[in-house]
Parts: sequence; structure tokens; C-alpha cells
Amino acid sequence: MKKILAFWAVILLFSCDKEQPIVVSADDLHNSIDHITNIMIHDIFSPPVASRVYAYPNIAAYEIVAMADDNYVSLSNQARGLTTIPKPDSTKTINYQLAALIAHIDISRRLIFSEDKLTIYRDSLYSIWEAKNQKEFGNSKDYGIEVAEHIAAWMTNDNYNQTRTMPKFSVQTEDPSRWQPTPPAYMDGIEPHWNKIRPFVIDSASQFKPTPPPPFSMKKGTDFYNEVKEVYDISMDITKKGDDSEEIEIAQFWDCNPYVSVTRGHLMFATKKISPGAHWIGIAKIASKMTNSDFNKTVYAYTKTSIAIYDAFISCWDEKYRSNLIRPETLINEHIDENWKPVLQTPPFPEYTSGHSVVSGAAATALTDIFGDDFAFADDTEVAYGLPIRSFASFNQAADEAAISRMYGGIHYRTAVDIGVKQGRDLGKFVMDNLKMD
Amino acid sequence: MNKPCLFASIFIMTILIGCENNQGKLFNNPNPEHTGIHFSNNITETDDLNILDYLYFYNGGGVAIGDINNDGQPDIFLSGNQVKNKLYLNKGDLKFEDITAEAGVEGNSTWNTGAVMGDVNGDGLLDIYVCAVVGINGFNGYNELYINNGDGTFEESASQYGLDFDSYSSTAAFLDYDLDGDLDIYLLNHAVHTQESYGKADLRLKRNFQTGDKLLRNDKGKFKDVSEQAGIYGGINGYGLGLAISDFNLDGYPDIYIGNDFHEDDYFYLNNADGTFTESLKKHFGHTTRFSMGNDVADINHDGRPDLMTLDMLPEDEKILKSSDGEAGIQVQKLQIERFGYHYQFTRNMLHLNQSNGAFTETALLSGVAATDWSWSTLFADYDQDGEQDIFISNGIPKRPNDLDYINFVSSDQIKNKISNTKLVDQQALEMMPAGEMHNYVFKGGKDLSFDDKSKEWTSMQKTVSGATAWGDLDNDGDLDIVTNNLNGAATLYINNTNGQHNYLKLKFNYTGSNPYGLGTKVYSYHDGGHLQYKELYTVRGFQASSEPIVHFGYGITENIDSVRIVWPNKTYQILTTIKTNQSLTISPQNPKPFNFNSLKPKTKPIFEKVENNLGIDFTHAEDGYIDFNRQKLIPYQISDRGPAVAIGDFNDDGKDDVFFGGSKYKSSKLFAQKDSVYVEFKIPLIAKDSIKEEVAALIADFDNNQKNDLLIGTGGADFFTEMKPLLDSYYLQKSDGFEKGQLPENFQNTSVLRANDFDNDGDLDLFVGKQSISNDFGKIPSSYLLENDNGIFRTKPNKVLEEIGMVTDAIWEDFDQDGIKDLIVVGEWMSPIFLKNQKGNLTKSNNSEPDLNGLWQRIIPFDIDADGDTDYLLGNWGTNSKFTASKEAPMKMYYGDFDKNGQTETITTTSKKGKYYPLEGLNELGGQMVSLRKKYNSYKAFGGKTIEEVLDGYKILKNQIRIVHNLKSGYLKNENGSFEFIPFENTLQVSPITAFLKFDFNSDGTEEVLVGGNYFGVKPFMGRMDSFSGALIKDENNVILGHELGLQMTHKSVRHLNIITLGEQTYLLITYNNEMAEVYQLNNKK
Repeated sequence: MKKILAFWAVILLFSCDKEQPIVVSADDLHNSIDHITNIMIHDIFSPPVASRVYAYPNIAAYEIVAMADDNYVSLSNQARGLTTIPKPDSTKTINYQLAALIAHIDISRRLIFSEDKLTIYRDSLYSIWEAKNQKEFGNSKDYGIEVAEHIAAWMTNDNYNQTRTMPKFSVQTEDPSRWQPTPPAYMDGIEPHWNKIRPFVIDSASQFKPTPPPPFSMKKGTDFYNEVKEVYDISMDITKKGDDSEEIEIAQFWDCNPYVSVTRGHLMFATKKISPGAHWIGIAKIASKMTNSDFNKTVYAYTKTSIAIYDAFISCWDEKYRSNLIRPETLINEHIDENWKPVLQTPPFPEYTSGHSVVSGAAATALTDIFGDDFAFADDTEVAYGLPIRSFASFNQAADEAAISRMYGGIHYRTAVDIGVKQGRDLGKFVMDNLKMD
Repeated sequence: MNKPCLFASIFIMTILIGCENNQGKLFNNPNPEHTGIHFSNNITETDDLNILDYLYFYNGGGVAIGDINNDGQPDIFLSGNQVKNKLYLNKGDLKFEDITAEAGVEGNSTWNTGAVMGDVNGDGLLDIYVCAVVGINGFNGYNELYINNGDGTFEESASQYGLDFDSYSSTAAFLDYDLDGDLDIYLLNHAVHTQESYGKADLRLKRNFQTGDKLLRNDKGKFKDVSEQAGIYGGINGYGLGLAISDFNLDGYPDIYIGNDFHEDDYFYLNNADGTFTESLKKHFGHTTRFSMGNDVADINHDGRPDLMTLDMLPEDEKILKSSDGEAGIQVQKLQIERFGYHYQFTRNMLHLNQSNGAFTETALLSGVAATDWSWSTLFADYDQDGEQDIFISNGIPKRPNDLDYINFVSSDQIKNKISNTKLVDQQALEMMPAGEMHNYVFKGGKDLSFDDKSKEWTSMQKTVSGATAWGDLDNDGDLDIVTNNLNGAATLYINNTNGQHNYLKLKFNYTGSNPYGLGTKVYSYHDGGHLQYKELYTVRGFQASSEPIVHFGYGITENIDSVRIVWPNKTYQILTTIKTNQSLTISPQNPKPFNFNSLKPKTKPIFEKVENNLGIDFTHAEDGYIDFNRQKLIPYQISDRGPAVAIGDFNDDGKDDVFFGGSKYKSSKLFAQKDSVYVEFKIPLIAKDSIKEEVAALIADFDNNQKNDLLIGTGGADFFTEMKPLLDSYYLQKSDGFEKGQLPENFQNTSVLRANDFDNDGDLDLFVGKQSISNDFGKIPSSYLLENDNGIFRTKPNKVLEEIGMVTDAIWEDFDQDGIKDLIVVGEWMSPIFLKNQKGNLTKSNNSEPDLNGLWQRIIPFDIDADGDTDYLLGNWGTNSKFTASKEAPMKMYYGDFDKNGQTETITTTSKKGKYYPLEGLNELGGQMVSLRKKYNSYKAFGGKTIEEVLDGYKILKNQIRIVHNLKSGYLKNENGSFEFIPFENTLQVSPITAFLKFDFNSDGTEEVLVGGNYFGVKPFMGRMDSFSGALIKDENNVILGHELGLQMTHKSVRHLNIITLGEQTYLLITYNNEMAEVYQLNNKK
């Protein structure tokens, strides 16, 4: 009994002490983003949509940081359509990092589906902060929410809601080169109008339009046929080597498929993982932690990386639904081996260019810009999904491996990978050149 | 026993056995303590044997009913998956004795499945064949054949008979397919092939021992696998679960229907009478069940033809329905059909009625038996003995593996690591699936194709997992009792308490030689002056089971049967006359005479006969690939597929009528000129060139009064949008030097109908232009209008009523008030038929029709159907054989508006279930269009069972944003002194939308009849395919002949127009279909 009384006394003591400053660390931001990532996995967001869920909260947080810290430059009039956030009330003490985190969580809440999962997390943070310093918390929260409203108003006009109502991709099996839904779920093509989403930095969705893939032909000896055959041959070769082969490990490591559907008779289930964008957000976290980056630098790193990823998806999806190229699985089953299954499950959208390659190229360029080249790191992003840690000498090396992993996985041809990673790097460079953030 | 005594003893027995529960129900369930039947098919899940390792882990065992000791009391055999089989000897008074051990039938296989009784060696004693799954999951053993020694013991003799298969068997059936007098066997096996990719349908062509079905010919006691030579498929993708034997085409030879689970088509094997079969599913069935389970055959509509029911797994309960994985999307369905070669399959029960022309018509939705959840066995029988077939359906699954929350939200966390590392799912993961115990269903058969769910009134509604089911008269009181083999629970006996309240007849046969039970015998029973009941003796019915080898009829209160015709398997027959009901008869062949199966075919030549060369009219309408649902994702049906237009008229000034067909989008129209002996295609370059538009309505008439016919074409298609030019209607004027384009006022809405009439009485033809919809804005009311003709130039004549009249589909100029001036009647979708009185060219609304008559009206035609001298109006509507339901009390509602304010309107169609309105579409579909719903409901469970009011709570709904349908039935407006009352047609005319009428004296009897055509396919897969209407000829109110008896082949095709054309002196019928070749029929118009 005494013990319990003592406990309450301590609580009382702390809650009475209203003048304690609230400290928001980079780890608080990491934790929050991890939490949002988990909710996104639960809710099942496709890779392009996931890139949007990451980008806006980061920008909201970043704009507050830039407002308070002269080392950082606002994105207003840099990110398309973004205007200057409201000025804080100078008569009030505001903890800008706290406001930034609050804005980040609030924008995230608007973007994910399972709000209840985030509000519980938010409310537990709120009560800790409020207990520490009610006034500071109140002021910071008011400002954070005010900025969130500003960002949300901007976000609402990015054409996302309109693209929900646009036509589905129409399957036309008469055209042998045209993408078709793939086993096992035979899902409709995902986000056929993502190129109509407003980009942040690039001029238009087609600015980095890649060269077309080799002309479609299933005649032996043609470039296209050879590429199909190559996917098949690699797959047969590495499958023979077994699950422990380097190639299969690489393929699995970079799978990043948010929804792998499994059917056993009437039993169906999904194995869910993070998206390609989320994997690179994870690498941004690793780099930030390795460099002991403070809250502001961490916000900056996340923001820059997620902007590059966001624009990369728009650019890639523009090409995907321009070339509408059929996946290797469909062609190999039709022409080479009807029982063949790729190492990875084919994701539900056209083949060219490889999304993971484009996004990895762009993200690696952003991270190199922030943290420098030859930044060696151990990537444990996928450990939670039962995959091992892989080490890389640089972001660019990781991007190259992510790109080639799609061939090992049997879901992309070589051109989509080679051209894709270049498309991503060109785009990444453009974004770096055109964003003045520090 | 005299009758009072019988009643008394039944009364006492009822008290004795009915005391456990269910007093007053048709069926009661005596408990195992009373009956001695303690068999319970308990299955034990382990880490390496569960639903993940073996896809049919929950399919259960078998049950067979038959009198194994010939003491007149049917005995029961139950097979177990992991538990031993049981044989129960019937000791009378519903007491059973377990004689398994003495009989030696407990079984040696690891995993038994179906169990069936049949006299394999023809010694007059029922033997037992027990199937097994062998060769996967460490399952050992083989299919066991227990030959009955006649002394209560059996000898396992499978290898001696060549029946010791060690494959993946579900069940087997006895039939004499070659009519050589002994019983052959069809062995149904199931695949374990991946369901992850469809593979091509032709996988079925390559035989596989383990999974392929087998036809086993009885060669003097040794069974020989003749599958290959007999044309039986045996591929790796045949998930055989349903097996029905019946002489479907009534030629004396048994045919076979196989129900296959998953994407593989069902198989319909027609016996070629030469030892071979031809699989003919696509030719005879428009669509089938998708996850086909058990099935059964019976003549439910008294036409002497065997009908078929096959089961699937559509839940009835809204909560379960909306949280279970549903039907595939329309594009995947197309892929499956066009690319992989499968047939149309839908997830719900099907009731296929056998028509005289061989095409089956499917009525499960109309009949009310489409959704009975996870269903295994269906058994037809006249349980209440009122003369109509009833249906018992067994039901339930221990765990629902298709639960969407499990699939999407639960499984990942639970399975993620386990599956990738060990390929195993642990018990904990399985526990996360919702339980699926469910009551069994029983339906009382009615007349007019209807069935009434009597589960509540007739049974205890106990929730079980019941699979294999068999019937037999266990207490020898004349009515049929039921046994279900349950998973993890005692087998249930359903004891029938009809007990002489209605009369019955039980027939056993004492047939010849090797088939003493007379399998394959057909019985035609006639009572009350021509009331026909038809049965065929096959014992293997339902699912993994065989029922008692008897034929049973119910007669209501009729005491004497006029006659019973027995047609023996060897195609001979005998007739029994004046038979009393309420008795069991054993019939042997006595002076049988040869039976002529041709006598079952229609005796008179049908009115219509297809013309081989189509008179040269070689027109195949081909739809373009546009799918409305890709763009307007939530609309209830398509609007792009209402073409083609057809118009008849003289186009080349030779005095003979020619035929014009409109083209679909990007395909040009076609013209056929009437020559002396055929029609010949000809082109008018100006018209042929105009190929972009989708032409859905056309008129040939002389609009500019120059004695030459002109052409007007109404354009629709709903693909082009806003103010795209190809949405404009076309007008071609014929001048002395050829055709030129005429001018029409611009209008970009989708046209549905053009009707000409000189409404202002100035000597030229004016027009009504009906508008059906506005592209990309389904639900918005388009503006129909009048065009006034001034020397061939049309000008819009303003009319407020027509501007907001609705989504118009058809109209007629008709003098409905008999003032000598033609008025206008307009029909359409989500609106009532509207009468507009013509007063010197001004049309005003007239209220002489019944109120609250909104329908999805498609067509109208004037016809004096009641022959009382005034004009009635026949109306084609949607019919009642779809998931749409509507009545005046509970109308169908469609919400129309941009509810989530994203700049695009949506529609949400809702129907009433037990007084509450639910959206027809699921969370994925609604949430895909209205993202906010994904936030509102973050699980399927949260969405399931939510009413539309709850779903749309928070959105502003205006009254004018709700469209209403009160009635979906086709029928007629009966003219009673100028006011009109709606009378619906009978159910046989409600199986599909009615899309065409044609009035003509088809049979040359001096009075006109109306020919009716229908069917419509423009709906999503969850709605199915409304392909089952064979057409009809309406002579008068009480005299309707269906198309399959008229020589017409309209079933499974979607009719757009019916026209009379002529060639020389002859008249012909022209049928124009959507996406199908047009057909020409000659009229055999002898009275």
C-alpha cells in the first residue's frame, strides 16, 4: 500500500510540474513513421499510393522546421502549388519540433484508413506531452494542426480523389503485347491514372519518359524474345541453385510487395510487406541514425527522399500505362512453359519500366545527396518480415541490387531494370538540382 | 393395419420419438440415445494436416441408405474421414444396431470420402463401395468394395473387381451406360492442382490417374477403365464434387453431369448410345455454378424432363455475404472465358430447367434457392407429399477460409513467418477464421417454379456442419426421412412427420439379371386428370452419398392414381392403372412392350423453323470491347450494349423491303437488299462510311415527302461523352441522285428510340426521340424530345414533360383515349409507363395508369391480350430472375449523386432484405469509388450488415437523388374502360429481361399473337447472366407457349429486335441479337 501511495505521489509530483520542457527527438519521428508504416501494411496501400502517404506528412513537418530553423529553406513555391504555411503567433511559446511531429501525425491520420490505430498512438503521445507541459503542448499543437490544415488543403488538390473515379485499365486480350492480369489474384491494373497526380518537382509526368522497350515480338531471335527467354533462363538457373542462392536471396530481400496473395483450395490469405518506397524510407532512417542526425536533419532527410520517391512513381507509372507491356509470367506461360511461376509474385500493373528500379534510382540519388556517396550501411529494414540483413557500400549499390532483383524475381525484363534505374537517377538528379532545401 | 389403427400408432410413435425436440415440425431429430446412431465424423487438425495442406479437409464422409439384409427396413452406412465407418442395421421403431465389427466394414483407408450402395454383382444384395483419398498427405489405402454375403457379413473385394483405386476419389455412381444389363461405375475424382493460376481449359484433355474421373465398364464382374475411349475427361484440373446420372435428353441412355469446384467447368456428358459420350456443357448450359458442389436431378415442373440443381456457396446472411470473398471482376471473367477457354460460372446455386430444345434455362434466383451459404448436398424429394418436389440442402463449414478480414488483415500476421519457413499453419492461425456452422435449408416446392424457404417451420434450425446426405423411409411410414453425415457432431436423422396427412406411393423394382434393383427405370405417374410426375431411379444423389433404391411420389389428398407408366432400362414399358395411394409396390417387368423414345418429342411441327442460308442475311453484330463498369464502376447495368438498330423498308426503289442493321462503335452498318430468292448486301457509300457511331435505333421512312425512303439513325453507346460528335444522331435523305446528309438539332445524349408520327397533322412525319442516358453520368435524367418536320427539316418542339420524363427505352404512338388522334406512351428505366395525350400536337401527361409502377421497362406493344375488344399494352421489364428485387412495399432504390464530392457522380443500388436496405455491392467496390468509406469501415466485418442509411450517414442525400423501381415483373396494362391496371405475366416469362415484342398472325389462325424475345448480359459477374429466356408466343391471357417449344433458338442469346421480313410471297421472322449472328426463321403457318 505504501508503495502504491508513493507511486501516485510521484505521478502527482510530475503532473504538477507544468514547466518541464518537452523534448522531441529524431527517434520520436522514427517511431512515428514506423508506426504509420505498420498501419499502411495493415490497410494495404499499393506502392504509388504509399509514396503519397509518406510524402505529405514529411513536407508538413519540414515546413515547420524550415519556418523555425534558418538552416532549412521552405518548399513553398518549390513543391508545386505549395504556398507558405501560416506564420506562428509570436506571442506564444511554440516548440516547433513538437508542432512538426504533431502536423506529421495529423496528415498521416488523414491519409491512412485505420485511423483508430493511429489515434491511439497519437493520444498516448498527447497525454505524455500534456502532462509534461500543458501550455507548450497546447501552443505547439494549435500551430501544428494549423499547418496541417494548410498542407491538407494543398494536398486535396493533387487530383488523388479525382483519379479514384477514373476508368479502370481495360483488358484487351487481342493485343498480344498488352498487359493482362496475372496469377493468382488476377487483379485489375493498379493506379492506371497515377500520371495525373500532381508532381512536386518534375515538370510533368512524362519529363523523364524513357526510351521504349524493344519492339514486341515472340519470334525467336528478336531482342524482345531474347529478353523473355533470359528471364526464364535466369529463373530456371537460380531455382536449380536453390533458395539459398545469392540471386534468390536478393530477389526476396527486395520483394517489397505489399500484398502477396496465396490460395490453397478455398483457403486464401495474404502475406504483406512494406512497399519499395517504404524500404527506402527505412534506409533513410538507418542513415539518419548512423549519422546521429538531429530532429531537423532527420525531417529534412525523410522529406527529400520521399519527394524523390513520390515523383519517381508518377514518372514510372506514366510509362507503365503508356507502354502497357505484358509481364514475363504471361508470355512464358503462353509460349515457353505453362507451369512456370516466377520466384516473386507478379505485381498487378504493366511491366515497363520497373517501379522498384525507378524508385530505387531516385531514392539512392536523394540519399547520396544528403549523406554522401560511399555511405556504407547494413540494411535491416526487412528483418521484421523474416528476411536477413544485407550490407551495402553505398546507396547506389543498393539501388543497383534492387533493380536487378526484379529479374531474379522473374517479374521484369532486363530493359525495364536497366532503363528504369537510369530513369530514376535522372529524375533524382533533377529533383536534387531543383530543390533548394539547405 | 387399417387406417385408424395406422394413425393411432403413428400418433403414439410421434409422441415417442418426437419428444426430444421440434414438436410440430415436419422433421424432428431423434437423438442418438434413442436411435443408437452415435457416428460422428470427428476430424482432428494437426500441424501437418489441416485445410492448408489438404484443400478438401472439410468435405466430410459419406452416407448410404439401403436395405442390406432384405428385411424391408432400410439400413444406414456412414463413412468417416479419420474415424472408422459404421454400418447400422435398422431394427424398426427407429432403433439401429451397430453391426460394423461383425460386418467387417469399418475400413482400412486413412481418409474415406463418399460411400454408396449398389448391387455390384447382381445377386440381389446391396454391396457398399467406399471411396478414399490416397497418395497425398500420407493417406494410405484404396477404394474398398464390400460385397454383401447376405448373412450380415461383407467381404472386401475391390481388387477382385478391379475397383481398388488408390487415387483422389470423392464418390462413385452406378449406371448402366451401355444398356448391357449390368451396372457400370462412374468414379469421381478430385484435383489437387493449384488454384493459383487458371491454366488453359484444355488441361482436361490430358488424363491423370490420381485426379482424373473414370468410367468403369462392368465386363462380367471385372471393371475396366474405358474413360479414354468413351470420351471422359480426366485432367489434373477436374475438382469433381458433384455427380448426377440421368437420361437428360430422354433417348433411353443415361447421361452424366459432373460438378467441378473452382475454375474448371462442369461437364455435361451426353451418351452417344454407342459406348461413348460427348461433353456438351457449353452447347446446353448458358452458365453454371462456379464452386460446384453437390447436385441432384428431378422433374420439378411436371413436363416429364429431368431438371438439375447444382450447389455453390453464396451466403444468404448480409453480414457473412459482405465479409466473404465474392465474385471475380468482369475483366477477369472475360479473361477466363476468352483467353483460357472456360465457360460462364457464377457463385450461387443454380436451378437448371430442361427444355424441349435441349437448352437449359436457369431460374435459381427467381425460384428463391440461389443462396444457401456453404452448401454440400441438395436432395429433391416430395417431403410433404403435396405432389411438388421439395429441396433439402446440407450446409456448413467448420471455418470460413474465404473471410475477407482473415484474408486481408488477420492471416498475414499469423501466417507470415510460419508459411514461408515451414509451409505450415498452426492451429492459432486457423482459429482466427470465423466459424461457419449453419442450419440446413429445406424448401417447399410450389407451382410456377417457386420454392419457399421452410427451414424454420420444418426443422429445428440446429447449426451443424452437414455434408453427405441421403434419404430413405427409415420408419417405413411412407414418407422420406433424411440422414446427414456431420463433421465433429453426431449424424443427424430428420424423421418426417407427414405420416399420412398426405398420400404417397413407394415403388421398388424387381428387375432382371444383373440389375435387380432396376437402376435407370423411369416412372411417369398421372393423377387428377393429367397431372404428371416423373422420376428416374438412380441412387447416387446429392453429395458423396446414395439414397434408398426406391421411387417415391406424393399426391396430396388424391387417393387414386390414374396410371403409372414404367419404362425399364432396356427401353420397354408397362402401364399400371388405378392404383391406390399410400402403399409400397414392388414391380417386376410383366409383358413389357418396346418403348419409343421418339414419342417424348413434340408431335406437331413447331411454328418456326430456322432457314439454313438465313436468306443471305449474313449479319453478325459484334460489340466493341468497351466495358461500362470500367468507367462508371458502380452502375447497376451497362448502357453500351443496347444495339444494334434494325429497320425494314425499301431503300433502292424496287418496291421490295430491304433490311438495315446499325453498326456498333467503329463498325459500319449493313444493308441487305431483297432480291428474287435471297437478300444481298449492298452499300450506300455515304452511310457505310459513317462507322464511328454506335447505332441503336433506326427508322426508314419518307421524311421529305419526295416518294423516296430516307434513313434516321439514333446513336447511343455511352462510350463517347460530353459533346463528342459521334454521339449525334444521323439523318440521310434520299434524293433523285442519291443520298445526302440531313440536318438534325444537336443533342449529345444517348438515344434509345425513334418513333415517327404526324403528330401535328400537317401531312409529314414528325418524331419522338427517346433518350436513355447521359454518358459518364448514369442516373441523371436525359431529355427526350419531339422533332417537328418541316419539309424534311426537323426542329425541336419544346415539351417540358418529355424533358424530364426519365431514362427512356421505348415509346409508341397510340390513340389510347380513342379520340381519333394518336397519343404517345413512353416507357423506360426507373420510371413508370407514361401516357401523353396529344392535343393538336401538344402532348400533356394523362393519369390513367396505375400509380407506383416504376420499372426497368424495356419495351411496350399494344395488344388486346384479354380479347375484350379494347387495347391493352404488353410491357417488357427486367424480370425477377436476378439479384434485383422490388415491390411496391419494398422498392429497389438507387442513390445517385456525387456523394464524396470528387467531381464524379456515382450510383449505389440497394435492395430490401427483410425490411432493411443494403447496397448490392461490397466494400471493395464502393470503397474503390468513395475512398472515405475505406476510412469509415476498416474491416469487412464492420461493413457487413450495414444498411445503406448507415453507409451513407454523413453524406447529404436529397430526395431527388434516389431513383426507385417498384416492380420488375413484365406484364400488361389491362384496359378497363380507359383506365389501366397492371397484371404481371406468369413466372416463365420473368426469367430474363424482355427486350423485344412483335405482333403478327404467326400461325395463320386469323388473329394476331405477340412473339416475345429477351435476355440481357450487361451486368457484373455477381449479378450473373440473364440468358435463360427461350422466348414466348402470347396468344391471350391464358395461352402462352414458350420459345423452346416453338422451334426457336433464342435461349442463351440476347435478343434486340424481332421483325417480319418477306421474300417473294413468303413471310419470315428475323431475330436480331446483340453480339451474335442474326437468324431467319420460316413460318410453318399451318393452323
